[in-house]
This record gives sequence, C-alpha cells and structure tokens, in this order.
Amino acid sequence: MITRRDFLKYMTLGSATLLLGCAKKTPIATPTATPTTPTYKAEFVLGYGKDHRLRGGKWGIGFFPKIHVLERLVEYDLKNDDYVPCLAKKWEVEQDGKVLTFELNKGVKFSDGSEFDAKAVKFTVEWLKINHPLGSETFESAEIVDDYTVSITFKDAMFFNLAKMAEFHMSIMSPKSVRPEGDPKGEFVLPIGTGAFKVVDYKEEQYAVYAPNEFWYERFGIKPKFKRFVVRFIKDEDTRVMALKSGEVDAISDYSHGGSDYTPRNQLGLLQREGYKVFKRVIPLTWIIAFNYKKEPFNDVKMREAVDLAVNRDEVVKIFDNQVLPARTLFIEDAPGVKEAGVTYEYNPEKAKQIIDELGCAGIEVNMIVDKAQSDQILVCQLIQQQLKDIGINVNLEILETGAYKQKRDAGEYDMRLYYIGGTDRRFYLRMFWRFHPARKWKAYVSERTGDLCEKILTEFDKEKRKQYLIEFYRAIHEEHGVVPLYFDIMTTVASKNVDISYEDMFHYPNGIPFGEPLFYAVGVREV
Amino acid sequence: MLRYIARRLLQIVPTLLGISIISFSLLYIFPGDPAEFIVEARYAVEPTQEMVKKIRMEMGLDRPMLVQYLDWLSKAVRGDFGKSWTEDKPVMDLILERLPASAQLFFTTFAISIAFAMLLGIISAIYKDRAVDHFCRIFSLLGISIPSFWLGLILIWIFSVQLRLLPAFGYGGIEHLILPVLTWSFSFMAIKTRFVRSCLLEALSQDYVITARAKGLPERIVVLRHALRNALIPIITYFSLSISHLIVGSIMVEVVFSWPGLGSLLVESVFKRDFPVVQALVFISGVLFVIVNLVVDILYAVIDPRIRYGD
Repeated sequence: MITRRDFLKYMTLGSATLLLGCAKKTPIATPTATPTTPTYKAEFVLGYGKDHRLRGGKWGIGFFPKIHVLERLVEYDLKNDDYVPCLAKKWEVEQDGKVLTFELNKGVKFSDGSEFDAKAVKFTVEWLKINHPLGSETFESAEIVDDYTVSITFKDAMFFNLAKMAEFHMSIMSPKSVRPEGDPKGEFVLPIGTGAFKVVDYKEEQYAVYAPNEFWYERFGIKPKFKRFVVRFIKDEDTRVMALKSGEVDAISDYSHGGSDYTPRNQLGLLQREGYKVFKRVIPLTWIIAFNYKKEPFNDVKMREAVDLAVNRDEVVKIFDNQVLPARTLFIEDAPGVKEAGVTYEYNPEKAKQIIDELGCAGIEVNMIVDKAQSDQILVCQLIQQQLKDIGINVNLEILETGAYKQKRDAGEYDMRLYYIGGTDRRFYLRMFWRFHPARKWKAYVSERTGDLCEKILTEFDKEKRKQYLIEFYRAIHEEHGVVPLYFDIMTTVASKNVDISYEDMFHYPNGIPFGEPLFYAVGVREV
Repeated sequence: MLRYIARRLLQIVPTLLGISIISFSLLYIFPGDPAEFIVEARYAVEPTQEMVKKIRMEMGLDRPMLVQYLDWLSKAVRGDFGKSWTEDKPVMDLILERLPASAQLFFTTFAISIAFAMLLGIISAIYKDRAVDHFCRIFSLLGISIPSFWLGLILIWIFSVQLRLLPAFGYGGIEHLILPVLTWSFSFMAIKTRFVRSCLLEALSQDYVITARAKGLPERIVVLRHALRNALIPIITYFSLSISHLIVGSIMVEVVFSWPGLGSLLVESVFKRDFPVVQALVFISGVLFVIVNLVVDILYAVIDPRIRYGD
C-alpha cells in the first residue's frame, strides 16, 4: 500500500529525474588500482539522527557516548549467554547475587590520563543511584575494598544484577565528569571515560566532535586512522541519506533506542546497488502482536492461535524491502535456548480459518491500536488487517495519537497491538523478560506458567539451569500463543565507498567480543 | 486617538486570556494523566501508583484546576514557564537558545519573500490577464500547493546531491541559510503575491485612479504613487501578521534541514510530551500574534483617520 508520504517521495524522485534529465552527465569513474597503503583523511564525519546529550539530562547522556566514550565493568556475550570481563577482571557473587564484588583491571586510564580505579566505580554507582532511574531502582551502595576492588550491593538478590552491569546505562565514568569533582550530587560537565573516544566539542542539536582516546587504542594495540570524529545530527531520514550522497558525511548510522531515527529500510538495497557499503546486523529485538489476553475474544488460546497461523511473515518483511528477517522463532537464533527449544511459528491460513469456523467466530470484529508516530508500524498493522480478514476476523484499526494510544493501552481498551520484546543490543535482550514479568505494567503476555519461568530466569545463576528455564519459557509462550512474533529488527550503518572498515570491526571489539551496536574505532576514510 | 488605543488594549485582554487558557489546557486536552506523562518523561520508567501520586503532589496537580491555572499564568507573564520535563533546564532557556536560529531564518525569509511578493504582485496586477500575469499566478499556485518538505528535499537533491553547490543540512554560515530560505520563501511569498495583486487591482479600479489617468499622469506614477500607496495599508497589515510565523511557522523546513530553531523544538517537545515547552511556545506564539495585531491596528489608525471609528 502506498502512503501519502511514499507517493510524495516517488514524486520527488520522479521530478528530480525530469529536472536533471538534461543535465550534463558525470563521467563514470574508471576503476583504478587501490594503493596498498591508503592515505586516510584526518576527519571522519558521521550523520546521526539523535542529539548525543553530552551535557546530560533527565536520562543521562545519550546512548552514543555511553557506547563510544564510556565502558562497562562487564560485557554480555549473547551467543554463549556469558559475561566477559571488560573493565573488571573478575567478580564474585555473594548473598545470591545481592552483592557483587568486582576486581578491576589495573593500568586502565581515563581519556584525561587519570587512573581508573575503585573510586571511579563507587562514584559512578552513587551518581547513577541519585541521577538515573535505572540506578535508583538497582543500587543500594558501593564500598571500596581496595584500590582495585569494589563491592556493589543491589536492592534485590538476583542474577539479573550482573546483566544490568553490562547495560550501557551502567557505563563507568570518571569522577572528573562532574563539578565539584567526585561529588555524585555535583553538576554534570562532560563524560570522561575509558572508551575509544573522548569529547572535544559539542553543540546541542547540531554536532559532537570526538577524538580517539590514545589510552584505549594503546590498550588494544591498535592505531586510529583519523584524528577527529565529527557526528552531525540530522533529524530527517531522507536528508540524512542525501547528506551521504552529497558527500557531506562519510557514513550514516541508525539510532533505534526507543525511537525510529534509522535509515529507511526500503532505501538500503538502492544504496547498496549504488555502491555504498551497507553494514547490517540483526538485533535481538522482535516485533510482535500483543493481545489483550485478559478479555474476550483473545482470552481464548484458540483465537490467539488462529491469528498466529494467519500471519504471513514473509509478506510483513516486504514492507521493509526484505531487509528485516521474518520471525519464525520468538527470538533470533543466537539467543540462548532458542534452537534447543525447537519451536517454530508457522503460517497456515487454512488451519487458522478452520479454527475460526469451529469457534463460530467468522466475521468477528476486533480492534487493533497503533501509535500514529510509528509510520512503519501502521503499514504492518494494515497488512495484518488484510491477512486476518482472509480468515474471517475483521480488524478495526485505530491509528491514535501517542497519548491516546498509551491511554487505551494502559486502560486495556484494545484487542491487539504491536509491541516489541528485547532490545537493540544483545544485553537488552535480557530485558525482554520484563515484558513477561507479572510485576511489570507494560507487559506483552503473562500466565502463571510463563511468569514463574520468567522469575526463575531472572534469578537463577546456574547457566545450564537458566538455559533449561529459557527453553521451557519459549515452549510455554508458543503453546499458549501468548504473542505472535512478526520480524527481527536490524541496526544499520551505510558508508561511502571510500570508508574502509570490515563488518567484523564494525560489530566487534578489538579483542573479538561481538557488539550489537556499530563501532567506529577502526574506520578509515580514504582520500579520494 | 488615545481612547481608540485604550479600547484596543482592553479588547485584547479577553483574547490573551483565551490564549492562556488554551495553552494551559493543552496539558489536560491531550489524552492521558499529566502526572504519568511527567513520570515517563522525567524517569523513562513505568509509572507506579506511588510515583504518580508523588508527582501529583510535587507539581501541585492535585490542586483545583483554577488554582493551577492562576499559578501557571502568574509565572508565565513573568516569563517563567517552569522546567522542561526532559531537558532539566528552564523552558525559557531552551526557547532563548533556539530563538537566534529561528529569527535568522524567519527574517531572511520575510525580507526576501516581501521583496519578491511585492514585485510579482505589482507586475501581475499591471499586466492583468497577460502572459506574465498567468506566469505569476501559476507560480503562486505552485507555492501554495507544494509542501515545504517536498520542495526542500527536491532542492537538496538538486543543489547538494547533484550539483554539490550547497550543504544539505545544518546551521552556520550563509551557505546553510540558502536552501531553507529558498524553500520557505517559495510558499511564504506565494500567498502574499496573490494578496498584493488583488489589493492593487482593487485600488486600480477606484475613481481616483481614473481621475489620475484622466489628468494624463504617466502610468508609473498612477500605479506606484496613487494605487499602490492606497493598496499598501491592507498589505502591510497582512505582512506584519506574518511575524507570528517566527515561532512555529517553519516546522517542516527546520526538520528537513536540521535547523535548530523553535519549530523543531516544538516538534520534539510534542513527541516527547514535554508539555511545559509546548505550552510556552503556543502561549508566546499567540501573544506575539495579538501584540503585532495591536501594533498594526494602532499604526493603521495613525495612517488612516477613518479607522478611529469610536474616536
């Protein structure tokens, strides 16, 4: 279905083609031999859809500096469901996870040359506890055991505390990031971290300038290929693509944390054909249909099953030019326990229709709510509306202003809605369990069985036992048809032809730890 | 004259009150509980009953609506719109930070649009129903019909992507100003061109113009000195009222060109449900419109004594 915006886009392109039809054609460059040691530009410019909030704010600094300027004590390896050391060398779990004692790496330096030690961790914990919502709900206190050992006491005893320490929000910063220095109640000045880059300049809503943090590069034994890393904030997705094409930026990258500032999926193929380098990574974030499972008709598992069987996921992903993957499992294969659970969501409209007929529900009217601000999701809902009509379910689609949407959602005045589980990065994958946790308000689906399993997954430290619970959990969700997985989302970076970086370097730390977000430490922009 | 000014001043009081009521009510007109918005915007967490209750008390949302309104109004008239729910800054600081960019964009567009609208409008009126008039009318029609974001993208495609002459986005030097101004001016001048044309045509059909022509005055003098001068009064009024566009008139242009002005601030605030900022922008925009209207009315009365009806 063509939306008004799509129509205008095609008109734009059509008109531009007409206008430029008579323009002198740029000669096609003849291929030349690539020099063995390319000369790189001193500056790498990235187009990004969101301000980095380097002066802080209610929710702290932006995700970008959290990822690129700061580091965490531990990192999470989704594939192996394991925690790997980062700033912490090792850790001990005490009191069923209520206390975690971290032994820190020695010789690590902040970008200003000061030493990373237990004081910095204690300061960060206390700062987060006062200034960050996740910090205030997580931490009780932090005690310095010695210069390189710190003990963190959490509010609750659970495995999930370790997972939380791998979240971007828990990134460690220098006590010099605030004024007066080291005061958790002090005024936030600029983030100073141990990560790949340091902040050089910042103009709110316009740009942020970073420089390589020589201590970080030294630690990993690599050398940066640029001296300045400029991030230009370009809100409009089409303008961002055109800024790339005009050469004003060397690359553009997605921001997907609770927003939709990403490169339009239907332009990725086109850009690739034009010679741009498209780096795409499937992320552990699944878009689903969530039911109002507490009231009729979707309190009936058979009704939910019928919807599940009626949704053709291959058609859904066509909306995104097949750039996203259809979800035939609840989560991406990399997630622990998914393969072992052996659960597959199938497409079988005949069976779905038969169920509806058996239930005597042919022609039933249900309503589906969607947030007006999520244009892609409106298209998905319209497609689902068509697919369900084929099995005899008439969906009344309500496209609502964000506030009205939230109000209806919270009041339970809907039958179906789109929702997502998991997160953009592998560490947020664990947050998916909040979506099935009985104590949470914004849940996707909860039953006694899944709620119980959810609680066990969040508290169990034994990896093998946790995996078993996960397998059971995936099976339970499938058997109860709690939600209908639709597609797995992606993160992308599109770079010009003269940008040198491999896929491995873009999505891995120099020590080989895989990373869900794009990393830019290895980028080199060749002189043309 | 003084009585006229006093009466006009009195007349704007209910209008200003109306604007303040509408601005204040935005918080309650939007669906949902304001206390929940604050919790979500401020802490980005699921609002619990305790949190909502605490915020309600902290922000005084549990007081009667009238008390809340009077409190808000008394602060608003002193330029205090409270703190942004998401940015941890006073709303006024946020607005003042963005004002220079908006002013630069608006006044450049305003000057260029008026110059061209006057020129095209006069040409169109003088050469009524001739080729040049048709051209000007089609041009105006296109300006009114073409959406700004579409035109903006077309211009970026041509001047940035294909010709590589101008930057596609950003704020800074004069080169950054060209495309946004061109985009906005196109629609801005379109309506004004038609307005100038119709005002001048009306003036040209008046008896005093026939008299001027009968006296054998050159057509240039007839048009510029006799007709245009008389047509200018509604034109100036109309142009002056455009100043209200300063605050929120350039939303699409600012979004497309990543221009850090007040229009984009309004859009961001609406999406983030940062109501203090939305309320302030709506209120200031409305007040600005009323004040400009008042000044124009008074000037109008100074220029044309017939206006002072009750004097």
